[in-house]
Amino acid sequence: MADDYTDELDSLFDYKRVQPNIVLCLDNDELDVIPASSPKRRKVAGSKVEKVDKNEKSIYVLDCEVEDKENEDWLPSPPKVSCQATVLAENSTIKELRLMKQELLSCALSAEDVLRSMEESVKEGGKSLQSSLDAVADQPSRPHNERAKIVISVQDKDGLKQFRIYMDDKFERLFQLYAEKAKHDLRSLIFCFDGEKIGAEATPNALGMEDNDIIEVHVKSS
Amino acid sequence: MSGGIARGRLAEERKSWRKNHPHGFVAKPETLPDGTVNLMVWHCTIPGKAGTDWEGGYFPLTLHFSEDYPSKPPKCKFPQGFFHPNVYPSGTVCLSILNEDSGWRPAITVKQILVGIQDLLDQPNPADPAQTEGYHLFIQDAVEYKKRVRVQAKQYPPLV
Repeated sequence: MADDYTDELDSLFDYKRVQPNIVLCLDNDELDVIPASSPKRRKVAGSKVEKVDKNEKSIYVLDCEVEDKENEDWLPSPPKVSCQATVLAENSTIKELRLMKQELLSCALSAEDVLRSMEESVKEGGKSLQSSLDAVADQPSRPHNERAKIVISVQDKDGLKQFRIYMDDKFERLFQLYAEKAKHDLRSLIFCFDGEKIGAEATPNALGMEDNDIIEVHVKSS
Repeated sequence: MSGGIARGRLAEERKSWRKNHPHGFVAKPETLPDGTVNLMVWHCTIPGKAGTDWEGGYFPLTLHFSEDYPSKPPKCKFPQGFFHPNVYPSGTVCLSILNEDSGWRPAITVKQILVGIQDLLDQPNPADPAQTEGYHLFIQDAVEYKKRVRVQAKQYPPLV
């Protein structure tokens, strides 16, 4: 440790000692100078970089490697130890990172599942929400129109005739219309809803009528 | 509630009846004095078929549905003492499609029941008598039988 420390200090302050190393570096014969263990380490470092690339680790790790190499070039002996240490450290950190990545992946997958199920439930919920919204929308729309209209079928022996009538409109008007259409004297006609005679003053509202309800016409046999 | 199926079906029957039913027929669930609707009892009217001795009569019929409906048919009742070979003295109609053990099927609608009973009025089934008077007159005295039918039709004029 002490050696490392002094060497590092040297590198920082003794530029003369550093100078020849640069030359060696430029010659690229540096390998001869560096002890035998160094190429191995380099290989390891190189493979590390590849692995790092494969694993798509952060660029930060790569930068560290580059720095290490630079250090190597500039200070052959001391980085040997420190670099190996960093390689080891990297090994463990990469392992840790890999584990973390796997954990995160599984987390992400389960999160995706949760999201998907959430989306589905939201879709379903949305439907019911929408329908309830529609229902809500329908209700206020009525007061806007004020006068809701329904279709009422008038059934005689020959079939059905459909009429549109306001919910609060007196049946009088519908009876007259029907009598005109059917060419009958209004006074000879009896209109019934559920077996009960409909008065001319009655309204669909008062009789609790719904869209497409049937009323029947009977012709008085007098 | 055990009657959920029966009530659900009856609500559907009523809904479809309101939109479409044969002319002259009435079928509606009874309204209780407090204004609530009892889907289990329906008050109906069956018009006598035109061109028959039953014409002009509007015969009141009550349908009593059980909680087992539509697995079991409703009990269909005319007023007590109704004159017809296939109607019991109590007024209960005897008809194959209303018999749980013979012709009833859960798919039979209220409309089909009422039309079926209308058909029965003018086409009694002598093989299955339910009252002595109507049965005997029907097979022994056709003239008297017709007369009785016409008189009865007048007893049930249109309500309106």
